[in-house]
Amino acid sequence: MTQLDPRAAMHLSDAAVSVELATPEMTLNIGPQHPSTHGVLRLIAKVDGERVESVDPVIGYMHRGYEKLTEVRTYAQITALVNRIDWVAGFANEIPFIVAVERLLDIEAPERAQWIRLILTEMTRISSHLLFMSSYPLELGAATPLMYALREREHVMDLIEGATGGRFHPNFNRVGGVKPAAGGGSTQKKVSQDLPAGFLQGTRDAMDQIDLVCDELDELVTGNELIMARTKGVGIIPPDKAMEFGMSGPNLRASGVGFDLRKHENLLPYDRFEFDVPVGHNGDCYDRYVVRLAEIRQAVRIVRQAVDSIPSGPLQAKVPRIIKVPPGEIYVRAENPKGEMGYHVISQGGRIPYRVKIRSASFSNLSVLPWLLEGALVPDLVAIMGSLDFVLGDVDR
Amino acid sequence: MTDNPSEPTDVSPSDDASEEAVEPSPLDGFAAELAELAGAERWSAEHGTLKLEVDRDRWTESVAALRPRLPFFSWLSAVDWSKETTVGEPAADVENMEERFEILCRMSSVTSAEAAIVTTTVPKSDPWIDSLVPIAGGAEWHERETAEMFGIAFRGHPNLSKLYLPDSFEGHPLLKTYPLLAREVKPWPGTVDVEDMPSTENTEADRMSASGDGNGDDAEAGDET
Repeated sequence: MTQLDPRAAMHLSDAAVSVELATPEMTLNIGPQHPSTHGVLRLIAKVDGERVESVDPVIGYMHRGYEKLTEVRTYAQITALVNRIDWVAGFANEIPFIVAVERLLDIEAPERAQWIRLILTEMTRISSHLLFMSSYPLELGAATPLMYALREREHVMDLIEGATGGRFHPNFNRVGGVKPAAGGGSTQKKVSQDLPAGFLQGTRDAMDQIDLVCDELDELVTGNELIMARTKGVGIIPPDKAMEFGMSGPNLRASGVGFDLRKHENLLPYDRFEFDVPVGHNGDCYDRYVVRLAEIRQAVRIVRQAVDSIPSGPLQAKVPRIIKVPPGEIYVRAENPKGEMGYHVISQGGRIPYRVKIRSASFSNLSVLPWLLEGALVPDLVAIMGSLDFVLGDVDR
Repeated sequence: MTDNPSEPTDVSPSDDASEEAVEPSPLDGFAAELAELAGAERWSAEHGTLKLEVDRDRWTESVAALRPRLPFFSWLSAVDWSKETTVGEPAADVENMEERFEILCRMSSVTSAEAAIVTTTVPKSDPWIDSLVPIAGGAEWHERETAEMFGIAFRGHPNLSKLYLPDSFEGHPLLKTYPLLAREVKPWPGTVDVEDMPSTENTEADRMSASGDGNGDDAEAGDET
């Protein structure tokens, strides 16, 4: 048995009263394997006592070279790649790329396909935000919300799986439309190839459940004193800094910039539906949480309207059997759950793009970290990182 | 898709805009203004993507001039226009093409759909450009990525170390001459797809492969042609 060093006890009590106590600078290495880094992110933090002096994020552990790979894949094959960029929002990743190719080809997907794309994109947003609702309180020490959020997320995942055949990587979009639903089979074209039976009613029921879990999260988390103490006034990002670093999505809106690409871009028929863009005021961790929760409710609102108004018709426009994209250059961006996701596609007339620049939201959202964490408290480090809601696959590409 | 089309309304002065001239382009209002603001030599608005071409010497100046109006720093990257390619398909007009790097920097507004890509040309013999970090801090990681992937030097960048790649990595992977190492060792089965596309006749084998490889988008369309 070791005896407690009485001097150590003296030392601790001294620290509590004397803020002037000198502390040697220390390098604290966090990650790459750490639950709070949502993948493999490494932070080299220089800390002075409880104060973070500087942070050097080391990324690239998940780098898969997608931009290089797009130069050796046909347009249809690239859909399978882009699924894996932000893997909690696989479906949403496909939309801007497919629309970019469609615009270069001057093809438009039929209305029903666009409605299906929109419904599934919003369901992806709900699922992505619900994952945040489970992981973020957990990182702050509250384990219960995880059970509630993940339970309801499963309803959404089941519906996405039922329609697309894949839980995380749907690979569902095709140039000119969407893939005939799972089970239909592309070789049996006489079989009705559409959404699975009961999908629309199942979606309505799931949306009711999501609304309920939002209320539950409100009671469990939103007004929780401990959560508020940990997140209010912590990790404040002013709007000009957010824009300078290219932060987008809920992180930007939490800083008071009410910019939502769903209101400004017409990739999907969002202008047919009523929804609000939740905006925060303070740009702190708490606002980033509140904005995401409000966005779930808005997504539910959009899905309900879309399910009620979905038009009938074909799922696929007529496209050439071999897709050769005429020479051209286009940048298409969309509002993904994590922010602006865009593809700059340069075609030289072949079956393979000449260059695809992938703009992923988490990359820019994370690049603010060195600035944001400077001067933060060590206990706040995890709270601030978690509030940015990044996915390392989306950072490293 | 909706009643607000942003389709290829070409308002570039060099191209023929007659065909689509009746439809008001969302770019009409601001394209020329932004071009003037940036001091662009040429600009184009192919497929609703506004590109402002500036001189390399005016690079930081142009971006700084646009920043107040387009405060959102979206991304920065480069394109390797190369006569020689080891992977992928070559450029359309390789013979007459000028070997160069094209640097692209995208900025956008946060109150409207206004956005622009500022672009400049960097010769391969002298691949450097001024860093945008003093103007927009968000450029730091984008420039580090572009530097390691293309071998372009960003003058005035505070720390141009490797971002994604290991420190000891040699070469610049996104150059068109850089081989895809995995393919060098073992040809990927996907190569077969790229080289031998199914014939246009819709045989039973085609259908099977179309449904089996997850890329069965064209089975339906093929039947109709």
